[in-house]
Amino acid sequence: MLRLCVYKSHKIIYCEGLMKSSKSIEIRYEELSPAEWFRRNKELAGLTNPTRAMYQTIREFVENSLDATESYGILPSIKVKIDYYDKARGWVSVYVEDNGVGIPDSEIPNVFGRVFYSSKYRIRQHRGVFGLGAKMIILYAQSTTNKPIYVRSAPLGSDRIYEYVLMINTLKNEPIILERREYENKYRWHGTAVKVIIEGDWPRAKKRVEEYLKRTYMIAPYAEIILKAPDLFLCFPRVTTKLPPPPKEGLPHPKSVDVELIKHLIARNPNLTLREFLTEYFDGVGKQTAEAFLKWAKFDPNKKVGDLTEDEITELTTKMREFNGWRRPKADWLSPVGEELLIEGIKKVLEPEFVAAVTRKPSSYMGHPFIVEAAIAWGGRIPPSDKPIVYRFANKVPLLYDEGSDVIRKVVEEIDWSVYKVKFPAPLAVIVHVCSTKIPYVSAGKEAIADVVEIEEEIVLAIREVARKLRQYITKKEKEEEIYIKFATFSMYAGEVANALAYVTGKPAEELKRKLQELIVKKVGLPPVPGKAEVKEASREVAVEARK
Amino acid sequence: MVARSRQEVLKILEEWGKRIVEQIERGQEPVIEIPARTLSNTVWDPVKKILVLGPERMRRRFLDLKESRKFMQTMLMLKLIVEAIRENVYPTIRDLYYNGKHTIVYVDPRKRVFKENTWDDQQESNAVIEDIEVATSLLREEMGISADVKGKVVGPIIVRSKGFEIDATKLGDAALSLPPNPDELDIVKVEANYVLVIEKDAIFQRLNREGFWRDENCLLVTAKGMPDRATRRFIRRLSEEFKLPVFVLTDADPYGWYIYSVYRSGSIKLSYESERLATPDAKFVGVTASDIINYKITDEYVIAATDRDIKRAHELLRYPWFQSDAWKKEIQLFLKMKKKVEIEALSTHGLKFLHDYLKDKIHNKKWIE
Repeated sequence: MLRLCVYKSHKIIYCEGLMKSSKSIEIRYEELSPAEWFRRNKELAGLTNPTRAMYQTIREFVENSLDATESYGILPSIKVKIDYYDKARGWVSVYVEDNGVGIPDSEIPNVFGRVFYSSKYRIRQHRGVFGLGAKMIILYAQSTTNKPIYVRSAPLGSDRIYEYVLMINTLKNEPIILERREYENKYRWHGTAVKVIIEGDWPRAKKRVEEYLKRTYMIAPYAEIILKAPDLFLCFPRVTTKLPPPPKEGLPHPKSVDVELIKHLIARNPNLTLREFLTEYFDGVGKQTAEAFLKWAKFDPNKKVGDLTEDEITELTTKMREFNGWRRPKADWLSPVGEELLIEGIKKVLEPEFVAAVTRKPSSYMGHPFIVEAAIAWGGRIPPSDKPIVYRFANKVPLLYDEGSDVIRKVVEEIDWSVYKVKFPAPLAVIVHVCSTKIPYVSAGKEAIADVVEIEEEIVLAIREVARKLRQYITKKEKEEEIYIKFATFSMYAGEVANALAYVTGKPAEELKRKLQELIVKKVGLPPVPGKAEVKEASREVAVEARK
Repeated sequence: MVARSRQEVLKILEEWGKRIVEQIERGQEPVIEIPARTLSNTVWDPVKKILVLGPERMRRRFLDLKESRKFMQTMLMLKLIVEAIRENVYPTIRDLYYNGKHTIVYVDPRKRVFKENTWDDQQESNAVIEDIEVATSLLREEMGISADVKGKVVGPIIVRSKGFEIDATKLGDAALSLPPNPDELDIVKVEANYVLVIEKDAIFQRLNREGFWRDENCLLVTAKGMPDRATRRFIRRLSEEFKLPVFVLTDADPYGWYIYSVYRSGSIKLSYESERLATPDAKFVGVTASDIINYKITDEYVIAATDRDIKRAHELLRYPWFQSDAWKKEIQLFLKMKKKVEIEALSTHGLKFLHDYLKDKIHNKKWIE
């Protein structure tokens, strides 16, 4: 069940234009190792400045930790420790430890020291993509502080703990093992701990990191997260021991292919016939479906895939994407949070007065299955603001940057909230979680979900569904509130009226007051008995605006 | 009109309170019926040339969220008035406002604290005084409640108050301030030809110092803008009891003209009082819109009318008591020119011109009504 590791020998050709003389341009081609290419393109991973790098480092490691725990049915316990390593130079050490499945001794150098060292050809919902993020962080550490990464890990059930100090040879894309130690695992610890030293701006990143961890916890309330930093200590205790079922691993849907993938699969076994190829490597394709497709696409089912020409491969790919006879993509590879857990997390973090959540039925775009979950939180400790506060999540990862270009924000903005009895400023938070085997991000920074029609539709339906529940709640509240206001208003005046009339006519005031109170009860009824939650709001002053 | 004694007034108020208590004791929602003091319930009586209260009545219910606060305020005011009579004091409407103003605090079953002032400004407390007046057919003056009196008079009149005789010709540049209840004022002697009512105090003072009343042997009165009840009652008495012609001088704008109509016919808010306060024979001498042309008022005195002025002028055109041909012509001219002037504009041909203007208007009967 551990990642079976297969090394993909990818090389990326990097092209640089050099101005040699004013008359001619000589283009020099240079082969770059993936590690070198990523080192040169670190902004792709969001490592644009020391603040962002700080946030990104914590994010990548925490996400790996969550993947290494909850995906295997382990309740996550994550410790994050941040220290100034060399304050004058702006160097910070980041340590992240989890109680996950760990990494086998022999795999540790490759997992951390070789770019594109990935799990096998299988899809399922992940937070990160093949652990690429962590390697980017190591490359970033190397290029800013030139300090190695420290790794300690013990797989489940291992009686040894392994410790490595590693660097990446960027030119060769190979790990350099600086130190290796092993210890006896007395307490049967399992998990992974990593520590890097990077150039980072902790004071500036602090708020983001705090918000990131808070939101991570909100969507994964079964996790326990502790952060120790120079001037910040956060402890998010585990709220529940319920874990969402881990996603299964599966094959890609035939509609989700591209030419590169097809070529890659053909290379694995060129002797397969087209029929065999389709049933072997794709999800939900049986003999019948394969033949129906090949007939429609005008391909010979018995043709060997290795004999396909370049043009035929392109044609096959196009047809696979166009064909409408495939079975719908399965959602078994997805792991939505679920309504119950979502509500628990939101209640714990936002402390609202009302919350409703929905997990939609699976849907798909371009062969990628996805599920949208949405929740609405209202009142309580949510501060009133002029528009809804949006919490965005993709595969349980909170998205903090780039809200403006996110389809979720767009949908929230386009909804006419007055239909749901929301009048701004309002204490309203909208939480949307999109999970998919492939999240369509707007850019490589992976901070905003792109405007895909199918996903947008699902988000709209999900938000509307919970918004209707909010409207019901507000309507009920309003009715209750009306009774309260009437009762309180009349009762408030009754004392004054009774006293005045008592003075004028000489009747006892108490008697008049009692009679008036009877009349009020007869007219508006007794207000509902307050629940505990409402008593909490006691002593809040209420302006009586109703009749003004 | 026979003024009732304060003891009779007290009895009426107590009876009124008793009837409300009886409703409560019978287990009925307390409701008070009050003639509506609204524009729709203000009726123009073309024979008497005054505004009177129509037959519309509103029911102020205690258990109606929109009316409850006013109900409470009415009861509170009733108590304050009864208290004043029982203790034999004569508060002003402002005194009553302060006496009654306090914060009511109520804690509801949810422990939420409701806080509210009995009334927030004097308009609210004044309104319930007027409600009590119409509901009980008693006048504020009869209850011994006074208001700030803005009115003053100067000229050939001798009055007696609390045994002291005051001759309003012997006040120099000063003037006689009117008392809160002019009905209690004994008018000993009036030897004036007419009464000139002036909207603005500054013009009143000028004419006083310049000896206009001596020249013309007339009385000068001002109420400094919108007239109060005492000033209006005083002018009514001069017209009714001494048959003096009454002339009104205001700025040439819709607000000035409405002030004239209040002297003459009464106001919408206090139409129940018109019988006592209005002077239906009062004439308007100016300043009119056509005066701007007829008296060749130069441009530096002419002011462009604002949107509010225009709106107000359209309202006047709809009032039944502005339907005389002369008034319609003036208002339409104003709407056409979109120009207004102040009384001061009559200094356009020298400071003494105001005197000539007034004499011309009054002696050559160039007034409108």
